[in-house]
Amino acid sequence: MNRSFIARNPSVLVFLALLALFTLVVSVLSEGFGIGLVSTSFVKTLGKTLCLCLIAVAMDLIWGYAGILSLGHFAFFGLGGYMIGMWLMYERTRQIVVSSLSEGVLPPTPEEIETGIAGQIFGVVGSADFPLIWAFADSLVIQLALVVLVPGILALVFGWLAFRSRVTGVYLSILTQAMTLGLSLYLFQNASGLRGNNGLSGLQNLPGVSAPQSVVSMWFFWASALALALGYLLVAWVVSGKFGSVIRGIRDNEARVRFLGYSVESYKLAVFTLTACLSGIAGALYYPQAGIINPAEVAPIASIYLAVWVAIGGRGRLYGAVIGAAFVSLVSSWFTGGQAPDINLGFYTIQWVDWWLILLGLSFVLVTLFAPSGMGGLVDLLMRGKKRGGNT
Amino acid sequence: MSTLLEVSGVSVSFDGFRAINNLTFQIGNAELRAVIGPNGAGKTTFMDIVTGKTRPDSGHISWGEKNLSLIGMSEARIAQAGIGRKFQKPTVFEDQTVQENLLMALRKDRGPLAVLFFRPSAADLERVAELAGEIGLTDSLLRVSGELSHGQKQWLEIGMLLAQEPRLLLVDEPAAGMTPAEREKTTAILVEAAKTRAVVVVEHDMEFVRRLNCKVTVLHEGAVLAEGSLDHVTKNQEVIDVYLGR
Repeated sequence: MNRSFIARNPSVLVFLALLALFTLVVSVLSEGFGIGLVSTSFVKTLGKTLCLCLIAVAMDLIWGYAGILSLGHFAFFGLGGYMIGMWLMYERTRQIVVSSLSEGVLPPTPEEIETGIAGQIFGVVGSADFPLIWAFADSLVIQLALVVLVPGILALVFGWLAFRSRVTGVYLSILTQAMTLGLSLYLFQNASGLRGNNGLSGLQNLPGVSAPQSVVSMWFFWASALALALGYLLVAWVVSGKFGSVIRGIRDNEARVRFLGYSVESYKLAVFTLTACLSGIAGALYYPQAGIINPAEVAPIASIYLAVWVAIGGRGRLYGAVIGAAFVSLVSSWFTGGQAPDINLGFYTIQWVDWWLILLGLSFVLVTLFAPSGMGGLVDLLMRGKKRGGNT
Repeated sequence: MSTLLEVSGVSVSFDGFRAINNLTFQIGNAELRAVIGPNGAGKTTFMDIVTGKTRPDSGHISWGEKNLSLIGMSEARIAQAGIGRKFQKPTVFEDQTVQENLLMALRKDRGPLAVLFFRPSAADLERVAELAGEIGLTDSLLRVSGELSHGQKQWLEIGMLLAQEPRLLLVDEPAAGMTPAEREKTTAILVEAAKTRAVVVVEHDMEFVRRLNCKVTVLHEGAVLAEGSLDHVTKNQEVIDVYLGR
């Protein structure tokens, strides 16, 4: 990352500056560190939105630049969340179990503690044993590594099978959709070892931390902002050079790139895996702010929303993905959260909780038909107008 | 003159239709060759087979001094081995600049990791500028290639081929849709390129083939009908019957 990279991509600098400013403003207004104008729950919403922006940047890399419409990236996002959730839940439960057992006459044995934790966590699914996949749940370091490794390895194996067979276009989209549906259905089972449809909960409580949520929420907000900044920088750097040229070439004419001597499959696999890892990180930051993760989060619809955000924001430009994810997800939570006023037409009342999806679908269709470059295209239009004005 | 590419006894059928029928073809280093033939003679299929896009049902293809078999190799590996292909329709990457197109084609490590960390050196940019000079696009280096004229796109694609530094160039109808002046320039580029490598030109236009002034192979129904100088093949009665007579 040299000077010429930033110099050639002024939009990266602008984005980072705006993100820093936004982070500062929210910090000053927060309850935890500032004057308290922004509630803790809204800080969490904003922090979660930043994570959604990060996965949208990943989605833009794979779809906008490499032309692979993956409808399964929320599977990787969810897996990242589950991996960190396992440690959070294990460690917090362990502390509770230890403190309750220490009230006895004899100090508790490790077996008693282990059985206590397992009973607490898995009682809801009628089990009292730790499944094998929880083997490392006591280690924060390993679970943090798994946040990247589990989505990465799944993407590597899945991508290798799919790309090697030259599955492309809508068929690949369907395949990724099937993957996320399969994962979701698997997780719904009580025997999956991840508490079935109960999911993992209480994730907002950091074990061993007595700071109030108003403070913890700001920590996660900052971490999310930092992750988005680094992720944006990484992806912008990846697409800035010849690698970006090659993957855009693959998007526009795969066969031609092959005849230039590039192994198209390796490039697709690299991008698929990298974006899966980024999605895992985004998920690991998102769910501690949401407090709970359950298999519904991995349902296919989530990944379709992701594609809608990126399309509305504008494909093939990273700030477009960020604008789309931030705008649509915030507006969406406003409408579906019941805050939007109902419209009474006399004979019929439009309730936004029901009608929001129709509005979203309609705007998706309209953007696809009439503004393929999305909201990010407006930025281009402004810049071009300015340039033209300067020349004449 | 040693043989660079040797295609022997190659056949391929699509749904029972024999597109290539026991085809045998040879080309040496630094040779210019025109391949002509009526529609459906198998010219494009022949290129597909050599570049690895289509796998033949039978036959051998051997390449280079080591007689490497090309059958079963991926398109990317064949391209890396030194076979470059220009398509009939100009296929350049339209939303990228002329410079980006040429840089992508430049003979360099093609692995994802090497490409990720690749930043063009002064020598690379110089080479790109030199190539742009050869194809008459010096002033358009930073233009988006989608803005170029049809003829310029054809040249850019030829430039990309030259940047690959292939030992064999397969060129499909390079003069299609070009003005007479553009054709003349295209001829000059191809003749120049053939001084240092093998060039196979598939062409319909007899006038263009005459200007190339080289050995001609006539294909018909997937096999070689005649081979020799243009004058020689145009006097061949069979060639007149199937192709020129129409």
